[in-house]
Parts: sequence; structure tokens; C-alpha cells
Amino acid sequence: MYRFVDHTAELELELESDSQEGVLYEALRAFAELAANGAGDPSEREVVVAARDLPGLLVAWLDELVFLAETEGFVPETAELSLAGSEVRAALRGHVGEPRPLVKAVTLHRLRFRTENGVWRGRVVLDV
Amino acid sequence: MSDLQRIDETTWEIPSSSRDDMRVPARIFADAEILEEIGGDHSLEQLENVATLPGVVGAAIAMPDIHQGYGFPVGGVAATELPDGVVSPGGVGYDINCGVRLLALPLAETELGERREALVHEISRSVPAGAGKSGGHRLDEKLLDGVLRDGPRALPDVRADDIQRTESEGCLEEADPKAVSERARARGRDQLGTMGSGNHFVELQLVEDVLDAQTAAAYGLAQGQVTALVHSGSRGLGHQVCTDFVKVMDERLASYRIHLPDRQLACAPASSPEGRQYLAAMAAAANFAWANRQAIADGIRSAIARVLGREVANGTRQVYDVAHNVAKVEVYDGVRVCVHRKGATRSFPAGSEEIPLPYREVGQPVFVPGSMGTASFVLAGEAGSLERSFGTTCHGAGRRLSRTAARKQVSGGELRRELEARGIVVRCPSAKGLAEEAPLAYKDVDRVVRVVEQAGLARRVARLVPIGVVKG
Repeated sequence: MYRFVDHTAELELELESDSQEGVLYEALRAFAELAANGAGDPSEREVVVAARDLPGLLVAWLDELVFLAETEGFVPETAELSLAGSEVRAALRGHVGEPRPLVKAVTLHRLRFRTENGVWRGRVVLDV
Repeated sequence: MSDLQRIDETTWEIPSSSRDDMRVPARIFADAEILEEIGGDHSLEQLENVATLPGVVGAAIAMPDIHQGYGFPVGGVAATELPDGVVSPGGVGYDINCGVRLLALPLAETELGERREALVHEISRSVPAGAGKSGGHRLDEKLLDGVLRDGPRALPDVRADDIQRTESEGCLEEADPKAVSERARARGRDQLGTMGSGNHFVELQLVEDVLDAQTAAAYGLAQGQVTALVHSGSRGLGHQVCTDFVKVMDERLASYRIHLPDRQLACAPASSPEGRQYLAAMAAAANFAWANRQAIADGIRSAIARVLGREVANGTRQVYDVAHNVAKVEVYDGVRVCVHRKGATRSFPAGSEEIPLPYREVGQPVFVPGSMGTASFVLAGEAGSLERSFGTTCHGAGRRLSRTAARKQVSGGELRRELEARGIVVRCPSAKGLAEEAPLAYKDVDRVVRVVEQAGLARRVARLVPIGVVKG
């Protein structure tokens, strides 16, 4: 599950899943909602993203999606993820087109990625 | 807000004693109404957090257009003592050297007449908006290096008076293209000359009111004159430079024994390898942004040439170009400091050697865009800024509503009709984007500039109103 919480000048993203990979997957779906801009050509990518800790990985993961959208016009819609520590390997499937350039950057402000009562929750603030 | 103390009519302070981790007070320039608005969000808490940064001196300062950001508030100023005070990429922001450039056309609105709509349309064709991926000039590696190192000077056929009338002449000398990552270069390579999205715009404005005749004359502005105001920054290249260095500094915090109340304040001593690398990369991104606004200005001049003729295009002068997201090394009371301005504008008074000669007797021009469709101001730097705000004044109206809240109150279609009913020609790629930048989402710019004038940071020179809007 993902949802957006609006702030004065930025967008906060709340994520929830029963696994760590699930939180990253929800982040991908949320980003796709923000960036998708009509159909383009189907495409695939493989990426490896790492950070010093799990919250940092959530930021680095979204950073990668921003980068792919802006430089290649690629927005993934689904992914197969495998996580080891704070490194994720992902096979991404989506489309190449003219994505909306809404998300400029991913911040560390109010950043969270942790388990609460068996549920994994993530929170990240996007600069839009 | 309980620790907030009123110092004078427009200055409030939160003493450093109000929190264990504050090293300096937090100072806010505002009037009572603005202060009440600020109290509704986390702006002041964020300002207090800035006051905890290692090496911060004087005060963490907020301008009257302050609003809640992430890490640093927007409309904030922080100076850290060099060499070992910290530099924080978040204190500059993702859009490094986001800023404003004003061009003055050699004609009055009455002379423009019915050609106004055609001119706005041509500008919208000449300056790609909204696009993240493409639309700009594609730079080869050599030219990209040149732009990162030298700013607009590296571009072909740039007018010398444009360079002269740009803050720092469009070039921060600390820039090192090698400090800019391949990812940042990839994002910026084909974006030069593009506006970007969000609150970026080109507006045609007319000088509605001259408030300081001598200074307006020095700036070459007269009542009724047509101007073009450009608001843009360093695009994806700057966003990536900030992203890269927030990450690096976040990873190194423990090794410098820096403890922060908010991870987004990630920083490193300016003298450290990470600090030096960031300053070199940030300077390169700032130079890219000046070149970007130069390319946009060239696009505007081309549009003017097509609609109004070559002579009018050649007679279109650059008044000035200011940065409002940047960190600069400056000296106050004999102390070298790194001044972080995030949503704040340098505002040097008359006499400063940093000001181009034609303006040196009146002070540095400052441009304060209001929200889309409302007034903007031309200000001149005042001596009070050196004494009270590290040579800084405000940068805009300041947001008061979130984008969703703005969309709930007005639709893009309604807003477009309202603007057009007032004679303002609008070109915008997205109705949703238009609604998000509606005037009701922002503070009243007239009030913001009255505060900085009263506080002695800058004085009002001219009030501009829009006649055409091209939104990013």
C-alpha cells in the first residue's frame, strides 16, 4: 500500500508492506503513478542499488527511478526484487516514453524504513 | 513559538538557549500576520535545526517569504565560519542556483499592442517547458565542461553586457567540472535552455509603478515599459549534484562526529575533502544554471526578433540575473564565511565591488517574483543587509498552500479564464500545473517586500505586473 501526504512545497510518500522488498515495490508503484504519462514502448532494465542502511536504500532506490525517467524516459511498472542487507537487485519492466518530470529529487527529511508490529513501513519526502 | 521574542517592528528571535543543541539564535524577519502563517507549519522548528549546524555564526535567519521545506526551510540563510564550519548541500537545495533574470525591452506596453499574444506564443515555442528529458541544446562533452567551468561565457555569441550584468558575472571560480558526477552530466546534457516544471516560468511584465526614480533610471526601467522575467535553475544536473553530495555527507557524518536533528541537513566541514568537492561541484552547477538562463534569454530574444523585429531584439537589455539557491564565500566583519542562501537573494548595497559599475552607486538589483499572475518587484540592496542578514533579502512570495490544497480551491481552467479576463496571455503545458501555482497558494508579495524594506535589507524600486505567462 502507498499513499501521498501533501506538504507546503513537497510530497510525502507513505509505504506499507509485509516485507522490505514489498516497501520498495510500493515505492516503485507510487513513482510510476507520478511519472507515467501515457503508453510508450515496452522496455526492461536491470539495476543494482545500495546504501549504508535500509532507509538510505529507500532514497537511493527512488533516486534510481528518477534518474532512469529523466535520462532515458523509462518508467517501470513492475519489478522482481531481491534484497540482501541494504542492497537491492531489480529486474524492472515498464515503458519508455515522455514521463512527467514531477519528482526532482528524493530527500532524507523525515525518512523512515522500519518494522512495526510485523508490518514494514516506509516514509520518504519527495522534492516536487 | 513560546520562546519567540520581538526585537523590533520586523525582527523576531528565538534565543539559542531555547534548545540545548542550538549554537546561535534563530532570527525571523516578518510582520505579525506573516508570523502567524509561519506558526502553522514547521518552518521555525526547521530554522532552529539550522541553528545547530557546526560552525554556524550570527544567527540562522529567515526571510518573510519563509515556508516549510525539508531540512532547511525555504527562505533561509545560514553562514558558517571558514575554514572548518560546515557546508550543507541541503542548505542550497536541489535546484542549485535557481534564480531570476530580468530583460528590459526597448518599448512600452502601448507600443506592443496586439502583438502581445503572438510574442507570448513565440516565447513558449522558443523556451521548452516542463520537459525533463529533452528539448534543450544538446551539449557535447567539451562544451558541457566549458559551461560547468565558465558559465554563460562558454556559450557562443554571448553579449558582454549580459555577462557583466549577472551576479558573479555568471561564473563561480571554485567550479571544477571533474567534481560533477557522470549521472549529473547525463541529466543536464540536453537540458540547457529549458525552463523545467513546478514554479518555473517566463513572464512578460510591464513596469506598473516606479517607486525609486533614480535607481529605476540606473537599471534602465521606466513606467509602462515591457520586461521579461525568467525563473529557472540548474535543472536535473543541479538536482543530481545535490543528491550525490547529500548521500556522501550523510555517510560520513559519524566520522566527523556530527550529530543532526534531521538527516537532510547532512553536511561536512567546508575544509574536508567532501566539503571541498561539494563546493566545486555546486559552483559548476551554479555556472550551468547561469548558462541555462542565458540560453533561455537567447530564446526570448529570438522570439522577440520574429515578432517585433531584429532591432527590438538587439535593444533588449539584461537588467541583471540573481541566484536564490546558492552557497558563497563572503567576508563579514573580517570573518570569512560560507553563506547558504536557500530561497534567499544576495542584496549588496551601493558601493560594493561585487556590483557592476553602472549600478554601483545605487545598489545591487534584486528580483522578487510574486506568484503567477500577480505583481513582482525590483528591489535594490541596502546596507542593513550587511549588518543583519549576511547581505541577503527575500526571494519571492513564499508558498502558503500545498499543491493539492491549491488544486482543491481552483481549477486550472478557471484560473486561466480569470488571468485571461485580466488581459494576461497564458501558455501552460498542464492545467493541473497551472492550478498548483495559483496566486492563492502564495503569500502576498507586497507584504513580503514591505517587511524587507522596513528591516533595511533592500528598498523597493519598481512594481511589475504580468501581461503574459509561459509556465514550466
